[in-house]
Amino acid sequence: MAKIEIEIDGKLVNARAGEMLIAVTDRESISVPRFCYHKKLSISANCRMCLVDVEGAPKPQPACSTPIADGMKIHTQNEKAKASQKAVMEFLLINHPLDCPICDQGGECELQDVAMDYGSDVSRFTEGKRIVADSDIGALIQTDMTRCIHCTRCVRFGAEIAGIMEMGGTGRGEDMKIEPFLTEGIQSELSGNMIDVCPVGALTSKPFRYELRSWQMNSMSNIARHDLVGSNIYTQTYKGKVKRIVARDNDDTNETWISDRDRFSYEGLAHENRLLAPQIKVEGEWKEVEWNVALDFATRGLGNSVLNNHQSDQLGALASNTATLEEFHLLQKILRELGSENIDHRLNVKNLNSPIALDSNVKLVNLENMDHALIIGSYTRLEQPMVNHRLRKASLKGATVDVINAMEFDFNYSINSENIIAPNKVVATLAGVLKVVLESKQQELPDYLTSVKTDDVITELAEKLLAEGQSVIVLGEHVINNDSAASIANLITNIAKQTKSSTLNLSASGNSMAANLSGFVPGKGGLDVNAMLESELKAYILLDVYPHYDFHHSIKAIDALNKDGAFIISLNSFKDKDVANYSDVMLPISCFYETSGSHVNIEGEIQSFTASVSAPSDTKPAWKVLKVLADLLELPGFHYADSAQVTSEITHQSHKSHVHDENIDLTTKQGIQIIWQKSPYAVDALSRHAISLQATKIGQMNSASMNKATAKKLEMTQGDEYLGVPAIISETVANNCVFVNANRSTQAGGQS
Amino acid sequence: MISNKAKKQIDIWVAKYPEGRQSSAVMEALKIVQAENDNSLTTEAIQAVADYLDMPGIAAAEVATFYENYNHKPVGKHTIRFCHNISCMLNGADDLIVYLEKKLGVKTGEVTKDSLINVKKVECLGACVGAPMFQIGDQYYENLTTDKIDEIVDGLRKKSK
Ligand code: SF4
Ligand code: FES
Ligand code: FES
Repeated sequence: MAKIEIEIDGKLVNARAGEMLIAVTDRESISVPRFCYHKKLSISANCRMCLVDVEGAPKPQPACSTPIADGMKIHTQNEKAKASQKAVMEFLLINHPLDCPICDQGGECELQDVAMDYGSDVSRFTEGKRIVADSDIGALIQTDMTRCIHCTRCVRFGAEIAGIMEMGGTGRGEDMKIEPFLTEGIQSELSGNMIDVCPVGALTSKPFRYELRSWQMNSMSNIARHDLVGSNIYTQTYKGKVKRIVARDNDDTNETWISDRDRFSYEGLAHENRLLAPQIKVEGEWKEVEWNVALDFATRGLGNSVLNNHQSDQLGALASNTATLEEFHLLQKILRELGSENIDHRLNVKNLNSPIALDSNVKLVNLENMDHALIIGSYTRLEQPMVNHRLRKASLKGATVDVINAMEFDFNYSINSENIIAPNKVVATLAGVLKVVLESKQQELPDYLTSVKTDDVITELAEKLLAEGQSVIVLGEHVINNDSAASIANLITNIAKQTKSSTLNLSASGNSMAANLSGFVPGKGGLDVNAMLESELKAYILLDVYPHYDFHHSIKAIDALNKDGAFIISLNSFKDKDVANYSDVMLPISCFYETSGSHVNIEGEIQSFTASVSAPSDTKPAWKVLKVLADLLELPGFHYADSAQVTSEITHQSHKSHVHDENIDLTTKQGIQIIWQKSPYAVDALSRHAISLQATKIGQMNSASMNKATAKKLEMTQGDEYLGVPAIISETVANNCVFVNANRSTQAGGQS
Repeated sequence: MISNKAKKQIDIWVAKYPEGRQSSAVMEALKIVQAENDNSLTTEAIQAVADYLDMPGIAAAEVATFYENYNHKPVGKHTIRFCHNISCMLNGADDLIVYLEKKLGVKTGEVTKDSLINVKKVECLGACVGAPMFQIGDQYYENLTTDKIDEIVDGLRKKSK
């Protein structure tokens, strides 16, 4: 775009032709009041608050929708501009209730701020004001629609960003109101952003209602750790408690949006189920003790069970994906110093005989520019909302998206070809795609591909990847249930290489990238999690593990950990019945936002954060606990003053890239296959304890979906309990499989 | 919810717009569906139209609530759309409305017990030259007097017997 010069309030500024005036004034920090304009939403120019005087134009012009031209002279502060801004302000306040003293937005309200500058202190409006009835739109957003100024930001957010138009403007004139159409409540996984975009107190946070004023809180930067993006957030705290979370802009990760999971999970921090004091088990009874007693008990236990007999190969360490980079590092370091390689975080992966090895080699921002995407085994919208947001943007720009899933999902963009197939057919399908790709490039076929069958669907999938333009292949989380996961990943690597596609590995979530970076996987001679549980180790250190949710083979895991004789140290932030059953020591650790550390996102970006609040009661950050444990075990090299020293040790150590097995095995098992997915708001202990999130429709997901034919084989009818969750009969599921989505413990773990 | 006949009628309108712009037919579609549902639209009917045109329910509702001619409550067989704008008002529309209300035993906005007639106040219908006036269906009735109103209403009553 051509560079031009315009004059604003007597000052010459450079700009690009065609930019909207408000974009220029914002860049130049010239303040222009606005309500409906939002930099990430389309322009609707309906509030008229941004009127400015453009020389030569007879009437004042809205800055948000006036494209600039060379030589334009603009006055944002002259009498004409001021008079129109004042007039608009007066109109906007005609029906506004002016109930700031009881409004949650008070103190952070754009209307309040602008009215301070442009409003008059006396209202000339003596007629009755209108009142708008509120609708209950769910557990997360509180409405107070009498305050609404009809800017339609929330409406545009739904239609443009969330991809589900849920709010709309009904009626007209005096009767116009903003409301949802159906009364089921807002369904979007990004709905909380409407609170951020609403310039007034019409949409506010329900869990935060009447809690505090914005100026009473401290805002601290932090990173959300529920997914692979690591959305940037502000934690707003008061007297040592996290009271609210809002988005922090970062165009490389989350732009200005965050998922509801990132926004509302903090509620779990104050849940009564927090583990608050160290406990040791003496003769089968739990006893609360001082930290030093508990740690002493733990070290002695380790000594007696394994170390004193030089059986460190009988010690294992497992961690869930919520740990920080530093915690993963310290725990694996302890194990390796003690001489054990039994280290693993891939608790939810069904088959670990060979690991799922697939690089992610595309930046989030570049995802938007893809021409084609192939998604395999993922309900990206709910599992990785911010990744999905980028894919949606690509789709809106014209990218085609193909999916291979075991069930139809409600994507918020259009899908080109939706292939619903059972997990055991995925490997053959991808082999077919590779075959077509190789054939089209007239390359020799490896032996394993010669007898692979292809069909029209497979050919089409391949052709899309071969076509001009940039493609990405996305491997999703459902693959962890697949026996052939490693082969699937290897096939994708090959297809990507041949078609010059990028790859994105979403098969693990939370902070699992950090686990990989710190080497939290078994080394030479070490056992993976499934092997550890089989071989009945004599001692374990478990970092924030909740067996019913975290292990794929949950029942087997609980049995194995409950076996007599194993000495188990558990570090947890929440209480758990099974943990209490099998552990010998329970150490209460701090949760999200209560500790410093780092998250590693899908791009490999290390995002460090400090604690926003101190750990409650007797809980301690896990990195400190692990450090002290290492000291008590008299291990060398654990002299850290803060977690940043741990981080720098990790970033300075050389990382050997994992050599992995490139084997591709196309044999699969027959029979009914179960895909077990935690529901999106049950991915970690914190979100499971966030009551408002749990009250939403997504939070309530609890079902075993299967088609009629499968139901018949299993002798199930709609509503019957299957593996602990109600069965739903739906033809959207591939034949011979059951898709279990649960927010509570099920018996699905480890089933075929 | 939408009969096959109505669907065919809607399709004629859909065909008038470019491919993928079927939602442009929403106004006509709402009208057609309203006509076959006793002249009013329920939430379900609006949702059905939205589904048929593959658009968000709320977007159809925005249209359905914006225009006066979509009804959201049950109406009578005949709607008397009584103009009370300036010319008609100056010529005595307000008194005539009161007269009509008394005669029917209902207020504007309500429906007679026999579900035959309801009265709605509307703005200028562009027939000021014959003020005061009202409209029933496609028909304008001008230069109204109490007698003329009696005649028209009685006529409607007789026809329905
Ligand atoms: S609810 Fe808020 S965001 Fe939505 S239109 Fe009203 S003022 Fe704007
Ligand atoms: S911000 Fe320009 S019209 Fe609303
Ligand atoms: S004012 Fe009644 S028709 Fe014009």
